[in-house]
Amino acid sequence: MKRRQRMLEELDQDLRAHIEIETRDNIERGMTPDEAHYEALRKFGNVRRVQEETREVWSRVWLEQLWQDVHYAARMLRKSPGFTAVAVLTLALGIGANTAIFSVVYAVLLRPLPYADPGQLVIIFQAKPQEQVPFTGINYVNFAECRTQSHAFAEMAANQAHQLTLTGVGEPSVLTTMVVTPEIFSLLEAQPLLGRTFLPEDGKRGATPVVILSENLWRSQFGSDPNLVGRSISLDKRLFTVVGIMPAGFHSLLLTAHEDIWIPIAQDPLFGPWMSRFSGHWLRVIGRLKPGVSLAQAQAEMDAMSAALAKEDPADNAGWQIRVAPLQENIVGESRPALLVLLAAVGLVLLIACVNIANLLLSRASSRAREIALRIALGAGRKRIVRQLLTESAVLGLLGGIAGIVLAYWGVHVLGSLLPADLPRAQTIRVDGWVLGFALLLSIVASFIFGLTPSFFAADSSLQRGLKSAGRSGESGGQRRARGFLAVAEIALAMVLLVAAGLLMRSFTMLTSVNPGFNAEHVVKADISLPQFQYSTPQQWSAFSDTLLERIHEEPGLQDSAMAAPLPLDEGNVNLGFEIVGNPPLPPNTAVTADFTSVSPDYFRVMEIPLLRGRLFNEQDSPSAPRVALISETFARRFFPNQDVLGKQLKFGFPPDGDVAREIVGVVGDVRDISLSEAPGPMMYVPFAQAPFWGGQLVVRSSLSSASAAVSIRKVTHDIDKDLPVTDIATLPETLDASVAQPRFRTLLIGLFGLIALLLAAVGIFGVISYSVSRRTHEIGIRVALGATPASVLRLILGESAKLVLLGLAVGIPVALGLARFLSSLLFEVHPADPLTFFGVAVLLTAVALIACYVPARRAMRVDPMVALRYE
Amino acid sequence: MSTKEQERRIELLQGTLDLLILRTLLLGPTHGHAIAKAIEFRSDDVLQVEQGSLYPALHRLIRRGWISSEEGTSENNRRAKFYRLTAKGRKQLALETSKWDKLAGAIAQILRPSEQEGKP
Repeated sequence: MKRRQRMLEELDQDLRAHIEIETRDNIERGMTPDEAHYEALRKFGNVRRVQEETREVWSRVWLEQLWQDVHYAARMLRKSPGFTAVAVLTLALGIGANTAIFSVVYAVLLRPLPYADPGQLVIIFQAKPQEQVPFTGINYVNFAECRTQSHAFAEMAANQAHQLTLTGVGEPSVLTTMVVTPEIFSLLEAQPLLGRTFLPEDGKRGATPVVILSENLWRSQFGSDPNLVGRSISLDKRLFTVVGIMPAGFHSLLLTAHEDIWIPIAQDPLFGPWMSRFSGHWLRVIGRLKPGVSLAQAQAEMDAMSAALAKEDPADNAGWQIRVAPLQENIVGESRPALLVLLAAVGLVLLIACVNIANLLLSRASSRAREIALRIALGAGRKRIVRQLLTESAVLGLLGGIAGIVLAYWGVHVLGSLLPADLPRAQTIRVDGWVLGFALLLSIVASFIFGLTPSFFAADSSLQRGLKSAGRSGESGGQRRARGFLAVAEIALAMVLLVAAGLLMRSFTMLTSVNPGFNAEHVVKADISLPQFQYSTPQQWSAFSDTLLERIHEEPGLQDSAMAAPLPLDEGNVNLGFEIVGNPPLPPNTAVTADFTSVSPDYFRVMEIPLLRGRLFNEQDSPSAPRVALISETFARRFFPNQDVLGKQLKFGFPPDGDVAREIVGVVGDVRDISLSEAPGPMMYVPFAQAPFWGGQLVVRSSLSSASAAVSIRKVTHDIDKDLPVTDIATLPETLDASVAQPRFRTLLIGLFGLIALLLAAVGIFGVISYSVSRRTHEIGIRVALGATPASVLRLILGESAKLVLLGLAVGIPVALGLARFLSSLLFEVHPADPLTFFGVAVLLTAVALIACYVPARRAMRVDPMVALRYE
Repeated sequence: MSTKEQERRIELLQGTLDLLILRTLLLGPTHGHAIAKAIEFRSDDVLQVEQGSLYPALHRLIRRGWISSEEGTSENNRRAKFYRLTAKGRKQLALETSKWDKLAGAIAQILRPSEQEGKP
């Protein structure tokens, strides 16, 4: 370092000595001293450049220049605060939106699962290709078989979610309960905060009931009592011993927002008895691959397993394949396309912002042509100029990046409240190091995108032209073309985004205006679930529901009420196989299924589902009366084409009623029960009295406000049993709304991005046209002097703008057509090439572009030829 | 300077200049101006060195340790910096020269194959 300093200090002296010797030589050759000195300098070349290049030899120079450039850039930006503010704001918007969306994408799709060696974690599930069943769980018998037989897995565990009621601690509350096999904790390598996790013995039938609590529950309900471990709590009126507390961050399923408690499957009132069943697909199984075992090896082992199971028990297992997939992929699977579309859309917004800033920089560069020409004349190399201008862009980019990060913090906060509740892993969304790194990278990449074109032109502007012209008309044809090109690009990009927004909006309107098959207006629903140890028989369930409905009917304003399990578009549907009595038995593996709902007689009246044929259920359809069923219109059409269905019999139901024949007494209208976007499938209904559940949803059509209806429902329920939890009281329109939360979320965001794109494009066109008007003032002056009318001047300016728009559309429409098909999986009853959307967007863009050039066009029309001509 | 003369002169490639400097210093330590003159003179003025460009090259060679610099006095009694070839630089010169000969020979063979063949 010292040597560097010494060398550079001595350089000046060295150079001076060199020039002196040359001068003396020249004098000796007979020149005058002045001539001699001049000739020596000429022969030496540019002294400053030599000095600079020599400094560069001593490395750190690069940094020094950078510092100089940054300094200079900051000064230039301060000198034009208007430009700087617009550019930084535009960038901040683009980078902020990208960073916020990236934080969601990162949290949901990219961040590794919060377990040790997450790459080894897989999900093991069953599929039945012949019947288009792509993904279901595995029953306990098959799970246990796989677990003991397999060699590819270090461990395998199963879980399922369910709800139990906690009593004895304040108000009765419903806990999200994970029913698990004991090994799930060691599989996920999770350590308890207090106490222990489950031991293999805890999972055996007949063991003492034990429970593990989440830290959150322990803190909120038990006041962080350190002595809770070892004591008992009451779940569904049965005592469980607390053996451990899991730290707040631990999740075993990752699909629900929170998990309150964990119990062994064997202790669960609902799932415990299912452990010995040979049929059914009810467990979610996860596994940890042994180190060095590939997914393909594990899959090969499971293929052999599927074959063996099918051989052992063909009735239950034939045709079913056990499959293995990475856990992370499985968790985020369905939200991936929508998130990627969002990321692409927001990326387009940033690109438009960059193009806009490039355009701004370009106009600035031409007004700075003189300054740059001067710098070149003073010996700055072209590379040096480009570097200087790129540094300016980078400073601008970083400023925008910093402002963008601030915006992103705010944006993530806002996004948090907009996010659909069913987005997996949404609770982990935050601005962290990776997200900040992404923002930084974006600002640098953005600086290059918007900085490169203008600096290229700036460094290229020729010396004389730059010095001669006062900067006003110092724009080359190439520059003008570049500017037009940028405006066209902006319009084309905006077109793509607006088409996406338009398609999604049309699709969302279609989705929300689709007839669900029932009338949700003025209907309130409440979930009521009965503790299963206390209410353990179907008779008790049925009796409870009768009492409840009776008491509810006595309440003023709540006369129209009914029970259903499950409710359409709520928490899930129940799909059951059935058999038509009298039809020849179906060949194996071709079972037919329909969605199943158990309802009280008034259900159809409350929901306003029309009766098409026959009769509805009534009070006479009691447990002792002949079994009856109602079917939906689609059911009748699909399975009884051109037949009279009334009087036909179906066999279906839950054990022990699985094989009971039920007579079809009527046909009701179709209902969309799975989602609004899915066409109604066949449905079958049974009277609640003949197929009761341990609870269900109460639906009430009432003119009361939902709040006062809720108060009455709670009061009546607690009058019957003070320990019964009533949860999820909501209006049906709210439930419908929640069912379209994901499409609403993406439509809203892409709509917002489209709007930003439209604004940016308008600003871009405004910039180009006003610059062009100011450049053509002289020409317009001549035209006016020669007799052009204001109308023809207007036509001139509008024509220029229209040319840009038409070119933009000509590029944008095919690109949008090409890209729209990536949206098709997100669209409902709208074709990706929907002509109405494309036409509408084209009209909108044209209109906005014409409005954007209104101000410059007015200025052009008011050009006074005298002033304009004198000006140059 | 006439255009014709300008055409006759060849601009130096970087690297080549380094080689020429090393070669010049083989004759003994000298100062910057003398190096420039020597290169011009020894190449019959064909090789044009913009004299200034010598200095970045000299500093580059110092940094690589191929030459060193010391205070000295020029012919007309002025203090000037003298550059001297180091042992490392001598080795480098030998290496570069043989490389250059090979390259020049190869290029000549491509450009003037007939002449080469025509020789007995």
